[in-house]
Amino acid sequence: MTAQDKTSGQGTTGRRVAAGVAVAGAVGLGLLALPGGAGAAPELPPVSAEELVSSVLTADIGAFDGTVELDNALGLPALPGMPQAADGDSTARVWSDGEGRGRVQLPTDSGERTLVSDGETFWAWNSEDQTVHTAPADGGPAERESAVADPTAAATEALDALRTSSDVRVDGTAEVAGRAAYELVLTPAASERTLLREVRLAVDAEHRVPLRLTVLANGSTEPALQLGFTELRFGPQDASLFTFTPPPGATVEPAPAHAGPMAGKPERLPDGVEPTVVGDGWDTVVVASGGDLAGALDDPSREGRGEGRPNIDLSALGTPVSGPWGSGTLISTAVASAIITDDGRVAAGAVPEQVLTEALGQ
Amino acid sequence: MTTAVLPAGAATAPRSAPLGRLLGAELTWVLRRPRTLVMLGVLALIPVVIAIGVTVVGGDVPGPRGGPGLIGAIAGNGLVLPVASITLALALLLPMAVTTAAADAIAGEAASGTLRGLLLAPVGRLRLVVMKAFGVLVVATLAVLVIAVAGLLAALVVVGSADGQLVTLSGTTIGLGEALGRVLIMVVWTVGQLAAVGAVALALSSLTEHPMVVLASVLGGLIVFGVLSAIPALDWLQPYLLTSGWTAGADVLRDPMVWDGLVESSLRALCYTAVGGGLATYRMLRRDA
Repeated sequence: MTAQDKTSGQGTTGRRVAAGVAVAGAVGLGLLALPGGAGAAPELPPVSAEELVSSVLTADIGAFDGTVELDNALGLPALPGMPQAADGDSTARVWSDGEGRGRVQLPTDSGERTLVSDGETFWAWNSEDQTVHTAPADGGPAERESAVADPTAAATEALDALRTSSDVRVDGTAEVAGRAAYELVLTPAASERTLLREVRLAVDAEHRVPLRLTVLANGSTEPALQLGFTELRFGPQDASLFTFTPPPGATVEPAPAHAGPMAGKPERLPDGVEPTVVGDGWDTVVVASGGDLAGALDDPSREGRGEGRPNIDLSALGTPVSGPWGSGTLISTAVASAIITDDGRVAAGAVPEQVLTEALGQ
Repeated sequence: MTTAVLPAGAATAPRSAPLGRLLGAELTWVLRRPRTLVMLGVLALIPVVIAIGVTVVGGDVPGPRGGPGLIGAIAGNGLVLPVASITLALALLLPMAVTTAAADAIAGEAASGTLRGLLLAPVGRLRLVVMKAFGVLVVATLAVLVIAVAGLLAALVVVGSADGQLVTLSGTTIGLGEALGRVLIMVVWTVGQLAAVGAVALALSSLTEHPMVVLASVLGGLIVFGVLSAIPALDWLQPYLLTSGWTAGADVLRDPMVWDGLVESSLRALCYTAVGGGLATYRMLRRDA
């Protein structure tokens, strides 16, 4: 064995180690990219659907904090001031003290909206224009907006509205946010005319609160909408989270009467519009008249500053339709349809076009 | 046989210079280069220019302050400035600075013919790579620190801060001490990301004799990453792209702070560093003098 061999032998070992480090890095990159969670379905004692539903409707979630992820494939266009409406993922951080006070933070890449309800006042902060909107915390429209980010409230509401016209069953278990959960499935009864195939609720096995709401539309295996916790901790929260002091230099102004910080979904109608409900259960159609939809679609923060409303061209969002009820624009998404008539009426629901036109004709 | 090896080994085994001296020599070599100093000076100008722009231009505009992005959050809230400047520079300027250093480190020496001397010198090949990587890391750290310090100074002198506090993106205020801590977290995280860029650049640098090739490949690669992450159909690629975690820097301005994005992007940077560093070492160990 010569010195030459020895050096080259060391070089080979070194090269092997170096190559190993490089491969480890590449493998690590692949591991990081793997979707987390998705563990095996947990073993849970069987429970009947009726029992599960009634325990969900009476459950008291208490204080908690968590992270909520919204996976949106509704097919809505991006609305000004509400990036969450467009297709894609968005997250929210939620805190609740279980007694009506809560905090929701909606981060974007380089900004954040913070919604705080301290029991007396509802505060809505937007970092983009450094403005705080305030409203009395009376459960009014502004405060209800923050519930949009709360899968618990949204899911309980949906369950209450749909259970009478649905076939309810328990379909196995799932792991959501690291917690064991029952999968409760609501399928529309045969008589219901709806675009939806089923609504799935993952219900926490221990606290019996909904952890995830999944909406599946006809003709698609991918969820049209999924709202669920990715992290959740039960327990008392720091009281300072439920107070809000406007930071120095911020503009503080009362929220505009008809629009909360999360307004912007077409189904959130401006005040002064009298909605009537036609039908019940899955094929409920909400018919509203007298308001202008542009108000509901508008960017509330921009409007709050007294600037002109951007005119939304409805024809860009939908297709023109007409019938004995009049004429208007039909906007369809995977899970819902809406018709905005030329005389200012709006009909919307998780139903096909025909049900909407029937409702408009009544 | 054994007796024959020992004297031969003693005669040819290189007497290695102490690592400390090697690193010191590399440090002097890197810091004495005019291009490094000019680059650091230009980087220091970024926060100053932003501060002047925000104060002079933004001060006269009536109506509500702010605007989209981190730049909009700077007005009257100077402590955002270091974070915003680093975020802005991380898009292209900081990677360029680090890549320049990495391109000079091996390919540049090969081009000027001085690498041959280094490879023949009594310095182990591994030590050579460590030494060069150290030089690149120093440039990365200095570059980020220069922006952070210039940003803090510009914030205090030009912009002013909200009663000595930082208004977070979440609308809460935090004190000066915690704000400085957040800037420090931002600096450490950014150096980690730049280490990944530097390691990949060093790997490319060991493969070529033309520094321009390294610079063009890395910057071109960053631009391609940006384009790929803008294509919705290629969503699944996102977790593999180094640049897709670079928006996480803004998380230091949230309250309570969000660690998920920072930790995930740091782990990704670590993987890139391992790949780049491993390849650079592999190539240098077998490179002919």
